Amino acid sequence: MMITGVKVTLILLAATTVTSLTLGTVIAIMRISRIKILRVLGTLYVEIFRNIPGLFWILFFYFVFPDILPWGLGAKLNAYLHYPIVAGILGLTVDNASYVSDILRSGRLAIPHGQREAAISTGLSRVQQYLHVLLPQMFRVTLPPLGTRMVHNFKNTSLCMAIAAPELTWATQNIESLTFRGIEATTIATLFYIFLAGIMVSMIILLEKWWKIDVSSMSQSKA
Amino acid sequence: MIKFIGANKSFNNRLVLKNINLEIAKGEVIVICGPSGAGKSTLLRTINKLEPIDDGEIIVDGMYLSDPKTDLTALRAEIGMVFQHFNLYPHKTAIKNITLAPRKVRGLSRKEATERAEKLLEKVGLLHRRDAYPVQLSGGEQQRVAIARSLAMEPKIMLFDEPTSALDPELINEVLDVMVSLAKEGMTMVVVTHEIGFAQKVADRVVFMDNGEILEIGTPPDIFVNPRHPRTKEFMSSVFHIPIFNVNQEEEQDF
Repeated sequence: MMITGVKVTLILLAATTVTSLTLGTVIAIMRISRIKILRVLGTLYVEIFRNIPGLFWILFFYFVFPDILPWGLGAKLNAYLHYPIVAGILGLTVDNASYVSDILRSGRLAIPHGQREAAISTGLSRVQQYLHVLLPQMFRVTLPPLGTRMVHNFKNTSLCMAIAAPELTWATQNIESLTFRGIEATTIATLFYIFLAGIMVSMIILLEKWWKIDVSSMSQSKA
Repeated sequence: MIKFIGANKSFNNRLVLKNINLEIAKGEVIVICGPSGAGKSTLLRTINKLEPIDDGEIIVDGMYLSDPKTDLTALRAEIGMVFQHFNLYPHKTAIKNITLAPRKVRGLSRKEATERAEKLLEKVGLLHRRDAYPVQLSGGEQQRVAIARSLAMEPKIMLFDEPTSALDPELINEVLDVMVSLAKEGMTMVVVTHEIGFAQKVADRVVFMDNGEILEIGTPPDIFVNPRHPRTKEFMSSVFHIPIFNVNQEEEQDF
């Protein structure tokens, strides 16, 4: 049960890290777009998903979402054995993406205007400007808060116990109620959380060191 | 090569370019000077449409900038631009700064782009710094890399927006040297600068601007030594800190 818990937590972590970073980047670009409707939609997204608790979204995707889907898709989802995990991924993604997008947007604001002008004047298209000049710098400037946010997202995977996704916290609780070996189970879970968060933090620190050279130069080109 | 016809532009109801008429021939080196706020940089930035004009027309290499059908990306690929603050991409090494646009816009292979970039780095005397990040380069080196980055697109026109204003005095010459050699190779150049020495050496014509207007156009001696417009006279005497009639000698000594 514990091993399944670790597996599910890792699945939730891996999936939501990828999806929430992707969705967050898209929303961030929408919010700084020059097209007004995209800006409005992006802002609306952030305000809705950031101002309602993540736990609510996990419950929403588990209990409500299948019911509002047309063509009997909902019934199929409910019948799906692993739907709690899927609902958990959806809930965590929409929640975390709202924070990611706001962090990345602040990164865009920190990039000097001249960077885009240089990219424009060499003939790069808008997509190329983002891919090669703006986005790499946005991730570099925002790495510290972004990293913290991703660790937070990791801890939020435990919220999925509310919909009985068999992740680590759910497993711990279950072991406790079935065997009364709460102390052992909780200790193992604690160590695992600390261990994995430690790995994440070390990766972020390594990345920070790796990128340090460019980040420190950004303040200079702003001068 | 570049033709302004009655170009006007305003920011917040203030005219920053007033009825600009100017024709720049292929291979010509034009220096734009004048007090700050005169509209020099704005004028320069209208040439690659970083700033659009309100009315009038600008024709660059046969392309009409007011025509919505004009392919701006293609236009900008033909026009190199060098900025006061260099604007190198801080997350890329010198060589990667240079190869980005040729690869993405011109479709060069990595190998072709790198070869071209190395030639240009050699030309600006920085081949040994090819793998340095901008933060590891001095201001003068950064600006030379920025010039190489523009040249890598093999532009027909080069625009310089106060390229030496942010540099320590000792680093100015290494940048000006690159610009002088570029001018001698026959590049069409429009340069906003306060470097009168540079203007005297390579400019075919000097444009003096104030308050968004072109007040005077002439050869460097016309503008620096024998300005006709009272505002030009006033500006030149303050630039040189000495009465106008001594200017010529003073400049001769510099070279």
